[in-house]
Amino acid sequence: MKRKTARMIDTALTHLILIAVCFIFLFPCLWLILASFSKSGSIYSFKGFFPQEYSLDTFRNLFTDTEMYNYPQWFRNTLFIAVMSCLLGSFLVILTAYTMSRFQFSGRKMIMKTTLVLGMFPSFMGMIAVYIIMTQFGLINKMWGLILIYSANAPMGYLTQKGFFDTIPISIDEAARIDGATNLQVFYKINLPLSLPIIVYTALTSFVFPWSDFILPKLLLKEKDLYTVAVGLMNLGETEFSRFAAGSVFIAVPIVILYFCLMKFFVNGMTFGAVKG
Amino acid sequence: MKRGNRKNTVHDVLKRAGRNVKLSMCVMGLGQMLYGQIGKGLCYFAVLVMAVIYFVHRGFKDLAGLFTLGTQEADTWLGIEGDNSVVMLLMGILSAIAVLFLVYCYLSNIKDAYETQKLCERGGRPMGFREELKQFLDRKFYKTVLLLPILGVCVFNILPIVFMILIAFTNYGGSTVPPKLVDWVGIDNFVQVATLSQFAPTFIRILGWNLMWALISTAVNYFAGLGLALLLNKDCVKGKAFWRAFPMLAYAVPGFITLLGFKFMFSYGGPVNQIITGMGHRAVGFLDIDAKWMARIIGFTINAWISVPSIMLLATGILSNRDASQMESAKIDGASAFQQFRHITLPFVLFSTTPVLISQFIGNFNNFGIFFFLRGGLYIDGYFLASDTDLLINWLYNLSINNNYYNVGATISLVIFIITSLISLLIYTNSTSYREEDTFR
Repeated sequence: MKRKTARMIDTALTHLILIAVCFIFLFPCLWLILASFSKSGSIYSFKGFFPQEYSLDTFRNLFTDTEMYNYPQWFRNTLFIAVMSCLLGSFLVILTAYTMSRFQFSGRKMIMKTTLVLGMFPSFMGMIAVYIIMTQFGLINKMWGLILIYSANAPMGYLTQKGFFDTIPISIDEAARIDGATNLQVFYKINLPLSLPIIVYTALTSFVFPWSDFILPKLLLKEKDLYTVAVGLMNLGETEFSRFAAGSVFIAVPIVILYFCLMKFFVNGMTFGAVKG
Repeated sequence: MKRGNRKNTVHDVLKRAGRNVKLSMCVMGLGQMLYGQIGKGLCYFAVLVMAVIYFVHRGFKDLAGLFTLGTQEADTWLGIEGDNSVVMLLMGILSAIAVLFLVYCYLSNIKDAYETQKLCERGGRPMGFREELKQFLDRKFYKTVLLLPILGVCVFNILPIVFMILIAFTNYGGSTVPPKLVDWVGIDNFVQVATLSQFAPTFIRILGWNLMWALISTAVNYFAGLGLALLLNKDCVKGKAFWRAFPMLAYAVPGFITLLGFKFMFSYGGPVNQIITGMGHRAVGFLDIDAKWMARIIGFTINAWISVPSIMLLATGILSNRDASQMESAKIDGASAFQQFRHITLPFVLFSTTPVLISQFIGNFNNFGIFFFLRGGLYIDGYFLASDTDLLINWLYNLSINNNYYNVGATISLVIFIITSLISLLIYTNSTSYREEDTFR
């Protein structure tokens, strides 16, 4: 009997903590969502956390009142940059990771150590140099310049994917090699179909990074027409609060849905990176 | 396949080189052509020709520019178009890379000719060009694949980093920017950061706070995430997917939205202050200029809000790989829940997440976003172009991107790099996941 009450208390306590945790995580999101439906735009007209009146006006304004803040244009820019970087970047990362996992060649350990060391440099240490390089190439104020940087830097994060490929038994490869397959065939006929989870993971992460990056677009895209959502939203003040909320909700929702649909892949992918380093 | 196994020492090659190899040493690709490998020989020769054209056209000039950083200062009165030192530095690095590439090609050319010579001596037949090309989809597949990524990383990652490292040894910045000429100054910048009254006190203060921030926030996030994962892993919790959805939500929202949202929440007109004023108190400047510890604590909290979910997800994945029978037997032996955690779960999780712990530490050490969004652009007395919540990386941004102190910025980047890389390289090379990379094969 005593043990049963102890267990009951334990269960109740656990759930109490869980409810508190969930509230902590949910509340700011809920706050933003409700704010995006507020009738007046300014944060000052709110009553405590929540707006006094609700309407869909903010969302309508977001897409129609584009003179000052051209949200649809920002959105198109962001989408274009993110999709292209995702395609190119994933392609490069997967290939790099596969190679680093499957081939033993001279210089392999050196490449691994080098990427590790390069990763230690503060991320925008080279920004000024990147800026000068882009001016030299004539890629300032061009979205392709940004895509180029994102995808060129993508292979640096190959370790997670390599961890995944390390877990596919190499004996399959060897069997195929004995049957006369070339390494190219081994890759796209055997390993690629087996690696769907990691491809999904890679695609998702390399989509989300440009989708929510603000440093590079801020530095390289100076024209108002070329703003991405992140840069655009950063310029909104307290009086435009509900516009900010609506704009945020609109770009966060697709990402959140994507994450939830692909959660299984995602957790797996993260674990591979973690355990195998 | 195994013929290349024995390393060719320089001595060997020089002593045993035949006529064709020697020809290859003089003119790239000539030896190959004489072996009948016309296609390959032409490729090597083409590299040579292109290199000569490049170096005559601008390579030598660029390489010299790397050392002089420009000799002719621009003068609009006299109509002299001067040297742009910064571009010269960049082009100089590019030409140095070109030299390295040429040396690599040259050595591979000699090696290739020598291999062919050995093959012929054993009575083999040199490979045809088509066969050779096929190798790039098979035995040398890795070379084909890695070409593009390596090129990309070189141009957009290594080149900028090398550039900034070199900038740390010049006087580029302040008023010395093109069209003025920039010069090499040796380690002056490092001495300045460590001693000069302008930089040194700020540097020491920010470094201390930065280390504290990284340690505390890593510890808080890590244990909170782990605790949450363990909580969700309990048998009595039903509907785990439902509970897990809330932290997932926080995880999925893009970081800049979270940060800007929280900034609004704690701003003067924000809801927190509205409640405070509603209760009859004065509004609190949570992120104001004098809100030192308040702003710092808010920073810790928000950072936890953002990072705890990812650690929770990770720990969940790792916990599901845990050996359940071990726990079972511990329970039978009468171990308490805490003992089980302390002696079984924690060592296991710590072992599998060492790399994550490192990357979390580095990530927090260089956490740019938090204070950039919360208190960006705030300059406080006693600090040089920084505020008391700024981390080194924020200071670096203020110095180099907002205020043109490129050389000091580069110097600080190097200091950050040295600190972070020393810590992680040490742990990484000692961790089992690096040393026993192939255990799972």
